[in-house]
Amino acid sequence: MRGSDRRNGVPTTTVIARRSPWQALHLGELWTYRELLYLLAWRDIKVRYKQAVLGVLWALIQPFVKMVVFSVVFGRLAGIDSGGAPYAIFVYAGLLPWGLFADSLARSGHSLVAGASLVRKAHIPRVIMPAAAVMSAVFDFAISLGLLLGLIVYFGLPWRVDFLLILPLTLLTILVALGVGFFVSALNAAYRDVQYVIPFLTQIWMFLTPVIYPITAIPERFRWLILINPMSGIIGAYRAVILGGTIPWDQLGISVGIGAALLVLGLAFFRSMDRYFADIV
Amino acid sequence: MNPSQGLAIVTEDLGKRYHIGRHSQRYRTLRDTISNVVRHPIHRIKGLSQAGSSSLETIWALSGVSFAVPQGAVYGIIGANGSGKSTLLRILAQITEPTAGRAEIRGRVGCVLGVGTGFHPELTGRENVFLSGIILGMTRREIRSKLDEIVAFAGVDQFLDTPVKHYSSGMTVRLGFAVAAHLEPDVLLIDEVLAVGDAAFQRQCLERMHRIAASGRTVLFVSHNLSVIRSLTQHTLWLDQGKTRMVGKTSAVCEAYESQGKEA
Repeated sequence: MRGSDRRNGVPTTTVIARRSPWQALHLGELWTYRELLYLLAWRDIKVRYKQAVLGVLWALIQPFVKMVVFSVVFGRLAGIDSGGAPYAIFVYAGLLPWGLFADSLARSGHSLVAGASLVRKAHIPRVIMPAAAVMSAVFDFAISLGLLLGLIVYFGLPWRVDFLLILPLTLLTILVALGVGFFVSALNAAYRDVQYVIPFLTQIWMFLTPVIYPITAIPERFRWLILINPMSGIIGAYRAVILGGTIPWDQLGISVGIGAALLVLGLAFFRSMDRYFADIV
Repeated sequence: MNPSQGLAIVTEDLGKRYHIGRHSQRYRTLRDTISNVVRHPIHRIKGLSQAGSSSLETIWALSGVSFAVPQGAVYGIIGANGSGKSTLLRILAQITEPTAGRAEIRGRVGCVLGVGTGFHPELTGRENVFLSGIILGMTRREIRSKLDEIVAFAGVDQFLDTPVKHYSSGMTVRLGFAVAAHLEPDVLLIDEVLAVGDAAFQRQCLERMHRIAASGRTVLFVSHNLSVIRSLTQHTLWLDQGKTRMVGKTSAVCEAYESQGKEA
């Protein structure tokens, strides 16, 4: 309904009434409203770096510093086994997709509350708002990808065609982030506690994901616990692509399945809350 | 069911219920919900499944409102604060959904429920025009072709590439209104936007409203300003505590509204 009244030409009739909470999942709205999606993401990015002297460089500095600190603490002091590869690039291959995921959660979690005036005053499909927040996190990710190329050169890793697999893996990360983002943004509109939970949840989630350690560090019988987390398979695959290992297709398959389920459920949950947003935000 | 020929907006028994009392705060905290579940588990579960259980105090911000607006008409809505005017507009704009009743609107709907919707202080005037325009339902091409007109209307040409945070509040509001004034939907819903700017700008806005009205568009117009309502609209709906108090010719409704004000 929302999409149809924007088209020019034949006048359409809009029917307004109480709807069922379980409406159809219009992921297509993201396409119909792509200009808005793009502009909101662009606004987020622009505003974020506007009055910062270092500007976009922050998107490089943060992951770089994390990599250095993690290399010292976990690589040197704790001596985590990185399977022969330099620990710096081993951990960065994990931090890169994880950063995209964590950033997406933080930004989309706030999106409805930060955009309260839009929620209350404008007739736009609200799924656009967490989606735009995720898109703006993708921008930072694209920049931090540059640092990865630097590391590949620095450590003299061979250039391989496999690197192209980073693209579909990133797309998968985005879909998982969207799914969880729909959940947390809708929840945060109703319960502001969520915004305090997100940073701390992502931190714990990171330690339960093989970001700083390889999956092989987990005893065989507990491994399933780690693998039901869709980010585990994705990070394992990233690492294999960058360091030249074998891609764990079975683990990646679990990620695809659980990621898709999260996306559908997240969107359905968001939809069921949608009717209340203007009244509770 | 199609709206009868020539009608742009038809509503039937529209109603909107809100919860007040202990739940009047705009958002709940998880702790409240959990402690509620612990205290009244059955109530709470029922309350969740059927929004609006009797255990919560409720208020009908709008109830039983029926009216019809012919195509091309400029229709006014008046009423005291809290009479449900904005709720009605928000329902028609599909921002919030009605608890009861239904409405049908024919054609592309545009709504202006505030000036400068979507404006961000860190962005420049030009950037905000695009953002606000898209949010209000224009396409980028449409905005590009109207940009000069919008900027001239707002009178901010030399500040177009300055961040809006450096604008005076009057300039921001003018630019916000200018974007909204260049919307070209079939049905335009407007809430109180003429109450902004100085006298000269208000005159300019009024002229613009007359032009929009003369262009054959349907306009639903909420205002406290009776002289504006009188000069723009032919028919008016008077809302009082969420209910229809009177509906009819603007002159008659405004007169009744004013005389009621004197009695009180």
